[in-house]
Amino acid sequence: MALVGLVITLLGFGIAAGSIGMTASTGGRLGLVLVGIVISLVGVLGVINQAYQKNAVWKR
Amino acid sequence: MKKVLLAFAMTWCFGLVGVVRAQAPAPGSQPAPAAPPPAAAAQAPAAPAAAAITDADLKALSGPKAEDKAKGDPGGTLTGTVSDIPVGDAKKGLTVADVVNLVGQNQIAINFVWTLVTGFLVMFMQAGFALVETGLCRAKNANHTMMMNFMVYGVGMLAYWLIGFAIQEGGVGAVANLGGTAPLSNEQTMMLFGKTIGLWGKNGYFLMHNGTYDVGVMVMFLFQMVFMDTALTIVTGTAAERWKYVAFMVSSFMMGAFTYPLFANWAWGGGWLSSLGANWGLGHGYCDFAGSGVVHAVGGITALAMGILIGPRIGKYDRNGKANAIPAHDIVLVLLGCFILAFGWFGFNPGSTLGASANGNLRISSIAVNTMLAGMSGSFGAVLYMWMRYGKPDGSMSGNGLLAGLVAITAPSGFVNPVASVIIGLIAGVLVCLSVEFFDRVARVDDPVGAISVHGVNGIWGVISVGLFADGKSNYGGSWNTVPGSVTGLFYGDAGQLVAQLIGCATLIGFVFTMSFVINLVIEWVVGQRVAAKAELEGLDIPEMGSLGYPEFVLKADMMGVE
Repeated sequence: MALVGLVITLLGFGIAAGSIGMTASTGGRLGLVLVGIVISLVGVLGVINQAYQKNAVWKR
Repeated sequence: MKKVLLAFAMTWCFGLVGVVRAQAPAPGSQPAPAAPPPAAAAQAPAAPAAAAITDADLKALSGPKAEDKAKGDPGGTLTGTVSDIPVGDAKKGLTVADVVNLVGQNQIAINFVWTLVTGFLVMFMQAGFALVETGLCRAKNANHTMMMNFMVYGVGMLAYWLIGFAIQEGGVGAVANLGGTAPLSNEQTMMLFGKTIGLWGKNGYFLMHNGTYDVGVMVMFLFQMVFMDTALTIVTGTAAERWKYVAFMVSSFMMGAFTYPLFANWAWGGGWLSSLGANWGLGHGYCDFAGSGVVHAVGGITALAMGILIGPRIGKYDRNGKANAIPAHDIVLVLLGCFILAFGWFGFNPGSTLGASANGNLRISSIAVNTMLAGMSGSFGAVLYMWMRYGKPDGSMSGNGLLAGLVAITAPSGFVNPVASVIIGLIAGVLVCLSVEFFDRVARVDDPVGAISVHGVNGIWGVISVGLFADGKSNYGGSWNTVPGSVTGLFYGDAGQLVAQLIGCATLIGFVFTMSFVINLVIEWVVGQRVAAKAELEGLDIPEMGSLGYPEFVLKADMMGVE
């Protein structure tokens, strides 16, 4: 599951960085970058962290 | 009491907003004009026409007599005269060329001394980090925490000297303030969307490779090395009290050799983030004056990766996942460390001009004032928040508020005005409290010192704040990241700058996190990251370091987490 989270996190970065080639509009780029950041945050906090919480030391 | 504090805070905030509105351009008005190019700036004071100085004029000058100098110079009027100017050719005597060469060397000398001394201040911040982190941990781990802070300096420096510096600065090109640094001219590039972008530098391994045994390069190395070490020491705080010492050494080496230098190249070394403006018209590209993103967010994001990977300390959460407070063992160390860090920040931010002479570098005064103001408002923000929410001004969070304000102002310090600095710091002070609560209670990422919140979250806030508050008044040689004019944020008319800053944030969260996580995952597989539970309960001083930090203390069993 953590591996999936890493892929999602990198995907968010890819969308944000790719925004510069996808559109020349500043507003369009801003929207894409924000989407990319949200996706990366979901990958980090929503997937990777949750995967590690399943076996956290306080649950044992 | 809470109502009084709330009223005070609101009055202060509204007062600041009023001042900012008074200074900001009205909606729809023209953005602030860019600062004039250096040539125009140099013409500003109209000088009267003067006859050219010739070699003959210089020969007519004479210094103080030898017999006068032999009597001493208590008034300081005989020292530093024409007789102190070195002559290139004794037969010709003093020439105009000698004087002009000395002027040039003096300018570079001023910049060398400025950059070196501010670098020394930044180096001293290691002591501040050591005190803050050790004070915030438990007494049973004092030796271990202090030793991580001590050796991260050496491990990081070794990695950076061998590999990291070349990756970061190997293709930065000539830095005019330091007289050139021309040997740093080899950047690995690729084509992206029809534009050439920089990926990593390739000159400067061991400081001997391809002509990098150079006085300007040495200044650059020293200054950049202490910045890199600041990023590394952030991680030791989050993973404290449960990190295997050998894993810490390997992890720090990898971060100093690869993770930090790569992002630093993209932002400062001529890499693709810095060219977002020149290549794609996004403001002046990613702008990070002194490293809210490059130093603090890279450290804080890596700390987040480590915090998730290594897991919380035993006893931090009960079986229902409710967080238990594990108090700091020495608040005196913590606050003393914060003061040392605040002192060192006067090297961190003003020193990032890489000079005090020419190219708009007199702005060091503005940068220093911005730095101290943001630290002040950061501590106010945290104190007021904690006072209103919990009824007491918490000592450790007050310190973290100061640091949060300083972290946040690090990127914008060279581009914003004092009022914006206070606002940026105030927001940072509140943000660090909210963020600590989030990671502690919601995300359940155990961070004994709050490094993720102080450096990661507020580092990102600092990066964003450049894109909002940069006022277009700064002028460092007429351009920034090869884009002419001054860095200007959204509130002063340039939305593209904000987009460039956000792409930097996405890179930190998406790429730097992934790289840090994968590196530390491999270390987990090879040597293991976490100490045994028995060692953690006893305290790491004996199992990991072989001696106690405080051998004459009697440690309470309940403080050691023994059930």
